[in-house]
This record gives sequence, C-alpha cells and structure tokens, in this order.
Amino acid sequence: MSNYQLSLIMLACISVITVCGVFSMTSLAGMFSLGQAAYMSISAYLTFCLAKYLALPIWLTSVIGIFASGFVALIISLPTLKLRRDYFALLSVAFGQMVSSIVILLGDYTNASIGFSKIPKVEGLVYIILGITVLIVFMVRNLKYSRFGRMCIALKTDEIAARSFGIDVYRLKVKIYVIASMIAAVGGICYGLRNRVISPDAFDWSLSAEMQILLFFGGTNSLTGSVISAAGLKVLPEFLKGVKLFGFDLQSFRTVIYCLLIIVVINFRTKGIMGESELNFAALKRIAKRRSSACSKGGKKK
Amino acid sequence: MTLQLLISGISLGSVYALIAVGFAIVFSILRFSNFAHGGMISACAFIGYFFQASFETPPPFYVTVLFTAVCGVVMALFIDTIAYRRIRKKQAPTLYYFLASITIAILIEQILSVFFGKNLYGYPQIFESTTFYIGSIRFSSIDTLILVVSLVILTVLLFVINKTRIGLAIRAVAIDPATSRLMGINSDVVIITVFAIAGALAGISGVLLGTKYSVYPSLGASMMIKGFIASVIGGLGSLSGAIPAAILLGVVEIFLTYWLGSLATPIVLFGIMLVFLAIRPEGISGKFAKDKV
Repeated sequence: MSNYQLSLIMLACISVITVCGVFSMTSLAGMFSLGQAAYMSISAYLTFCLAKYLALPIWLTSVIGIFASGFVALIISLPTLKLRRDYFALLSVAFGQMVSSIVILLGDYTNASIGFSKIPKVEGLVYIILGITVLIVFMVRNLKYSRFGRMCIALKTDEIAARSFGIDVYRLKVKIYVIASMIAAVGGICYGLRNRVISPDAFDWSLSAEMQILLFFGGTNSLTGSVISAAGLKVLPEFLKGVKLFGFDLQSFRTVIYCLLIIVVINFRTKGIMGESELNFAALKRIAKRRSSACSKGGKKK
Repeated sequence: MTLQLLISGISLGSVYALIAVGFAIVFSILRFSNFAHGGMISACAFIGYFFQASFETPPPFYVTVLFTAVCGVVMALFIDTIAYRRIRKKQAPTLYYFLASITIAILIEQILSVFFGKNLYGYPQIFESTTFYIGSIRFSSIDTLILVVSLVILTVLLFVINKTRIGLAIRAVAIDPATSRLMGINSDVVIITVFAIAGALAGISGVLLGTKYSVYPSLGASMMIKGFIASVIGGLGSLSGAIPAAILLGVVEIFLTYWLGSLATPIVLFGIMLVFLAIRPEGISGKFAKDKV
C-alpha cells in the first residue's frame, strides 16, 4: 500500500479511538463534554516533550502522558461533576481554552502556536495504531456489556432512579470521565505520531465537537454505528479532493458538507443512522431470518 | 489608571452581558446551551461589516446596528426552522438540541472561513479620534460607545421581559412550560420570540465586537466562551444573574490582562470559575435551574 493509503487508515483509526472515548462517556453515561480534545493535547504534549527533553523512551512517556491526562481529568471532574450536566458541558469548553493557553504560555518548550515537531518516527506505526484501535474498541465494547456499563446506562436514563437503586452516581461519573479522558489521551498520542507535528490550534473545541458529531451521526447508543461513522466520515472527504462543483473546490467545503448531512440526520432520524442497535452477527442473522420469513409469507399470500 | 481599566472592564463586560443574556434567554426556555449563538455573532459581525462597506459614505452607526439586528433575527428564525423545530416536535432529549446547535455553530464558522477566512476585516473608523478626555481621565471612544449601546439594549430587554405581556409569557414558560400551556400561553410563539430576541442580541453584539476587534470567522466562538462563563457564574438561565456576572467578568478580565498579560488570563479565569462553582454552585442569582422531571 502507498503511504497515502496508510495515512488514511491511520486517520480513520485515530478518529475511531477518540470517538470510542466519547462513546464511553456520552452514550453510556449521558455526559456531554466539549473538552476531550484538551486531553489529547495534554497527553500528546507531555509525551513528546518528555521524550525530547528528558530523552526517555517514547512508550514510557506515553504511559506518563496517558496517566497524567487521567489525573487532570480526576482533578477537573471532582468539583464540576457535582453540578448539572449543562454546567459540565460549558465548563469543558472553557477547560479546552485553558489548556491551549497553557500550551502557548509554555512556548519555550512547546514552540507555542508554530507547533511542536520534534516527534520521533516510529517504524510500522500503522500496525501499532491498528492494534491499539482494535484493543480500545474491544475494551469499550466490554465496558458497555459489563455491570459497570449497565450502571452507566441506568445513570443516563434516569439519575434519580439510578441513585435510588444504590448506585453511587457521583463516583460513577468521575470514573467514566477519567476513563474517557484516558482513551482520548491515547488518541492524542496517536495523532501526534501520525502527523509528526502538534499545535494548540489542532486541539481546539471544534475537534471535540467533531467527535460528538461523529458519535451521534452513527447512532447514539450504537458502538458499531459510531465506529463506522467515525472511520467513514473522516476518510470520505479525502475522496472529494480535486472534485469541482460549480467552480467550487469541494475539498474546502468538506466540513460544510458533513455539517449539512448531520443536520439532515438530526431532523429526519434523530437517533443517528444506526439508532440504538448494534451491528453484529446475531443481528445480521435476525435480519436475514426476518427477510426470508417475510418472503415466505409474501409467497403464501399469492 | 485604575479608573480607566475599570471603565474599559465595564465596557467589555457589557458586551459579554449582551452575549450572556442572548444565551441565557434561550437556556431559560428550552434548557439547552445554544452554541449556535457564537456562530451567529460572527456571521452578524460580517454582515455589519459588508453593510457598512457597501456605502460610499458610511451610514450612521445606529443604522448598521439596526440592520444587523434584523438580519440576526432572520438568521435565528431560519436556524430554528432547519435545526430545532423538528427536534422540538419530537420532544427529543436536550442532548439533541446540544448536538444540533454545535453543528450549526461549526457550519457557520466553516462557511465564513471558506469565503472570508484568508484575511482580517476591520470596521471603518467611527470616530475622528480614538480617545477623549473628561478632566484628566482618558476614555476610549469605542469602549464608551459600546457601553452606552449595550446598556440601552439591556434596559430595553429588561423592560420587555419584566413589563410586557410577551415578557410575562416568556417568564411563565421558563418556570413551567406545561402549566403555562394549560393557562393558554402559546409556547410556540414564545419560543420563536425568544429565538428572535437572541438573534437580535447576537446581531448587536456582533457589530459591537466587530468595531472593537477586527472581524474573523472564529470571533463569535471565542467570545461565546466568555458568555458561557458569565452565565455559569450568574446561574444558568437567569437573566438577572447573567448581567452582573458578565460585567464582573469583564472587569476581572481587564485587570488580570493588565497584571498578568493576555496569555495567563484564561487560565486564572478558569481557576476562579472552578473555585466559585465549588463554593456557590447555584451562581450569583441563587436560582438553580432544576431538571424538569
């Protein structure tokens, strides 16, 4: 495969990783955050700056970066998760802005808005990222079907009812937020390794918003739907390169196009393309069975 | 020096108040954070700029403000139609409103940056001199103008909300939509009015911000964050809390910028907000926006 195709695969994988992080938070626990890109930023900067200035191996600094993101998430979540969900979403926007200000403030180390580009090259990166992606999707899937995931879904559906069943709502929220942030942190490191340059502008709130949008496009409660839409919608615009319509270059309109697509989906299929159903072998079998039984019924009528 | 900082802080705060009120009024009725407000502010700033630039001799400032306010209303109603109306009819959870508003915000910002993203646009000079003196204190003309315009608009708005029939209807729906519908209030009309008010506020604040700073596509989004912070501190969905909180925020921001520089300011502001929320989560107004069961 050519380098271009490999980089597209990595792009799709990174998108899947970050959307999985958001999935565990928004779809399972019903928390809405626009600050997930900030955790990508924290872990990516920490990982690559430590690797550069302390000359540590990259896998070690990645671990440090991921856990540091989790720790920051813990600190941020302790006061804010006591509040209503709306406060939390708004605060997360402000948090994202704060993180990019810190990055610019530490310009001596992070090269400010020009971007930090001293990122080591990793051989066979595409396999590593693919592996990580599969691992994370598998983890999030297990999370969804575990006791923990069911508790989260109860919390999402009705917080007061969940509390009355003896679920410690606050602790649960903190836990899921930290998990989501650590997954986002993994996504951030992969992003840095793929692009070989990170800048504070790349991790602003619109990236976080994009994750949420990709998640909802695929289906609010459907992991497979979100994964497919995360990979598909991210890669699709690359095929618009060089296509011209009425003298406009469609490539520059890619975000506009997919925003319009999403508005159509919100209007006419509010729960996202896949809704709450998962795509797996059992579901496929069920559909096939229904189709064949429908056919036989149709035959009888004739 | 302190007095000058205070004046420009209050002036900045009054623009934040316009944004925060536009945001809070939608929140108080529909219980969702209208992120599209930021996009509308940017779009209106551009509309105002091109309106002024299209004349040989620039029209008086109030004409531009009125024109963009009308454009803001039209845009807000259009956004309501394409993005929120069907969700409302389906009575979907607020999460979808959130999503729709974020999508609209990104859509507007992207459209603007595709067409006008390459350079900054500056409004033509309104005043002959940028500063004037009262006694020995120097005032910035634009800051003073912004302060006056925002205070007038806010007064008018508070009058409408507190003294007129439609204002009463808005307050009633904000407290309890189901009961107010039983009392014969047409909640669709109220919602449309609220969007219209928010649109007009977005238009006015867009022009004011455009004259103060230059116009660029992400202008609204970056100012919107301040509006969020102000309305969070004021108590979400409370108009009476949002205004003092916004002015306080403006003053604090100006002083912090003076002492610490513009880079460290957002960090300190966020810290202050966290501490404030930890101590008094219901905001200045003390009215806690409760989830409707």
